[in-house]
Amino acid sequence: MASKAPPGTFKILYFSSATTITKKDSEFLPAPLALGKLFDTLDENYSGIKAKVLGSCMVTVNLEYVDIEEDAERELKEGDEVGIIPPVSSG
Amino acid sequence: MTSPTHHGGPPDLTPETAQSQSLSEAGIHVELTHSTLDITATLARVRSPKAGALILFAGTTRDNFDSKPVEHLSYTSYPPLALQTLLKICREMKEKHSLIGISIIHRLGTCPVGEESILVAVSAPHRKAAWSAGEECLEIVKEKAEIWKLETFVGGEGVWRANKDGVQGGSTRESM
Repeated sequence: MASKAPPGTFKILYFSSATTITKKDSEFLPAPLALGKLFDTLDENYSGIKAKVLGSCMVTVNLEYVDIEEDAERELKEGDEVGIIPPVSSG
Repeated sequence: MTSPTHHGGPPDLTPETAQSQSLSEAGIHVELTHSTLDITATLARVRSPKAGALILFAGTTRDNFDSKPVEHLSYTSYPPLALQTLLKICREMKEKHSLIGISIIHRLGTCPVGEESILVAVSAPHRKAAWSAGEECLEIVKEKAEIWKLETFVGGEGVWRANKDGVQGGSTRESM
């Protein structure tokens, strides 16, 4: 998780049930991207991920939670770190 | 030279490459580790001559889920986010229950059945506040900390658990 995003990209991190579909923990996606388009973009790359996993996930940008509907216009910028956060299960 | 400060200022963050990562500030310590959890050391972090009560909760891994035999469990996390969340929970509990100290440590990676996956230790002047804080803290951690449990059943099937509904989460097979 330590590597930096190459120019023109942001980093996205997958956890738990999301990795079952993506088969990877992280990757770089082209920036900028409107937050409101994130789930559709992921669904194009990983068919079915939206319905199976993303519907129950939260999203963080640079370690802060965002609301993909209220903040739909927000742009994911070069160098951002985006986290896809499925329902948690510590303890 | 930097040494841990426990008197205000930003919390200490250990390097990301370490076997353990932690954050500390006055009366608070949170940690994620790939090592076996140390009960004595965790209690020592909250011990104080001002405390009349130390409460320790140790969560251990069960050998079954709905009587399906579990071979082992493993935990993954988003460490910088999870540590930040654990620190916020500790601040809230410390303030609300007037605690002297509070510490949360969670295991990552493979955790053999029967071993501790989480320790929550709190200290307070009197037992009632300590009991209450310990219980409330654990419930909030289970609800919020960005840590995920993968149960691998005997026979090889793996299931990502979700605390919210207590039911089986997504299978690691893509069909789900």
